[in-house]
Amino acid sequence: MDDTNLKPAEGLTERLYWLIRLRWVAVGGVFFTALFADKALHIPLALAALYSIAGALGVYNLLFLLYLAWFRAAARPDLPALANRLANAQIAMDLLGLTALLHFSGGVENPFAYYFVFHMIIASVLLSRRASYLQATFAVFLFLLMAGLEYSGVWTHYCVAVQAAGCRRADLINLLGVAAAFTSTLYIAVYMAGSVSLKLREKEATLRAANLLLNEKDRIKSNYVLRVSHDIKDHLAAIQACLDPVLHGLTGELKPAQENLIRRSYERTEKLTVFVKALLEITRIKLSQKMETGPFSLRKAAESAVNLVEERAKAKNIKLNFAVGPGVDVIVGAQIYIEETIANFLSNSIKYTPEGGSVDLMIGDAGASVLIRVSDTGMGIPKGDLPHIFEEFYRAKNAKAAERTGTGLGLSIAKEVAKRHNGRIWAESQEGKGSIFYLSLPKEAAEPGRSGDAGSPPGLRVSGG
Amino acid sequence: MAKILIVDDDPDIVESMRIILESCRHTVKVAKSGEEGLKEAGADKYDLVILDVMMETMSTGFEVARSLRESRDNKAVPILMLTAIKESTGLDFKSEVGDKDWLPVNAYLEKPLKPHELLQKVESLLKGK
Repeated sequence: MDDTNLKPAEGLTERLYWLIRLRWVAVGGVFFTALFADKALHIPLALAALYSIAGALGVYNLLFLLYLAWFRAAARPDLPALANRLANAQIAMDLLGLTALLHFSGGVENPFAYYFVFHMIIASVLLSRRASYLQATFAVFLFLLMAGLEYSGVWTHYCVAVQAAGCRRADLINLLGVAAAFTSTLYIAVYMAGSVSLKLREKEATLRAANLLLNEKDRIKSNYVLRVSHDIKDHLAAIQACLDPVLHGLTGELKPAQENLIRRSYERTEKLTVFVKALLEITRIKLSQKMETGPFSLRKAAESAVNLVEERAKAKNIKLNFAVGPGVDVIVGAQIYIEETIANFLSNSIKYTPEGGSVDLMIGDAGASVLIRVSDTGMGIPKGDLPHIFEEFYRAKNAKAAERTGTGLGLSIAKEVAKRHNGRIWAESQEGKGSIFYLSLPKEAAEPGRSGDAGSPPGLRVSGG
Repeated sequence: MAKILIVDDDPDIVESMRIILESCRHTVKVAKSGEEGLKEAGADKYDLVILDVMMETMSTGFEVARSLRESRDNKAVPILMLTAIKESTGLDFKSEVGDKDWLPVNAYLEKPLKPHELLQKVESLLKGK
């Protein structure tokens, strides 16, 4: 094998489906072209033979489809090798089919003979270079065989020329010219398409390797962040634990100035703790191979998120409304994280909504998914900031002005949670009027990559070398 | 008042707990590791044991708790477990339902500790004895 490393195994199954879809078009094309040539152009054609060949094309296309689906469902490890054999077989069958079609519709006279070029391009995309050249050789062999047998009279020539002079079956010089042009065209097509396709495969392999490397580096970085923040958090906890008894007068009465400073230190430590915890959380989610998911009541999760923020809403005299649509109850997912995301939306809304405003939580059924929607009458998000609010550490200008501290991590955690549930998260806002945050979750939140075979989203599978 | 054993390997957190508990006139003994804690619990009689769930050396708090429950003298001693476990494992201990079957402790307290929460838990555990 000259080019084992660059075998187009990745995605070959998808391309086979593509080929099968194309073939349905071809079957229809043959049928209608023959019909058109017969009824409108009055070209004498062996219609019965042509329709039978189109029918045969359809039948083996269906067989290939079923075979492929069956093998994919079985998720066998030798799927790439099998897909490769299947691609070779399909193209060979197509060459036979096309030759048969040509034979019954004028042989070398048929201008559609150049459709062989398409098969050469398809072969160059799907197969290794060697296999593509073999297919080209097979096509040339079939074409020459047909021309030769028709020329010698062993096969009947189905002349489609409307005028007798147009029939070139016995014109040897013309035949040789056609054969030479045909042969060179096919080989040149394979050479060119193959070169382009090889370059693309090389580039794809490089990109895939680079991507793996990046992922690995990202993982190392995350691990580092995890360790560092863990250490910081332990120290913070100890500092707080030591300040706490002093602040609560357990070590004797404090003078107001002392109390003031200790309280400030304590509060700053607390803010730093919140930040480090958020950093730990997002890093952990990113590093986790999979989330613990299970069925749970979304209604109850939302209720407890509401309970969590109720006090804060009341303190600011904000009306907190909560509505769950019919048909929404049990979904599959990581309850803790989803509950937290809802609470996060709500507490953001409450934080940035002035006194007397309102915050609404609505959960609705959207068929295969549920839509969680939190809207407020708050300060809104400036247009320029809106595309960035889900980025790590990003905080909108007006949010920073209103609240100096804040981790800028809450929404990135939410985004990560949505991603891990195959869900979607987004926001709409009008500065000065309010914001709406959306989280859409599939009811059966399968984690990406767990669906197994080639049907999983690209980029998540690691290919065996 | 009560005799309390603290098993935790962070000296600063231990010191803060000692001050808080002694302010309520409890007697506090400190063990810096799981092994030391078990030895201490065997040597003297305590009204309450406070365990940190994550310790650097040998045993986790859970292992120490199990050993205590298996011992003759401390089958029934109230155990208060200090944890930061919710965020590290995603487990939720808020509910404190009859966990005794699978985790032999009487109550949990999440870190960082608040003095009044610690005192409240300690008082209720001592009263429930």
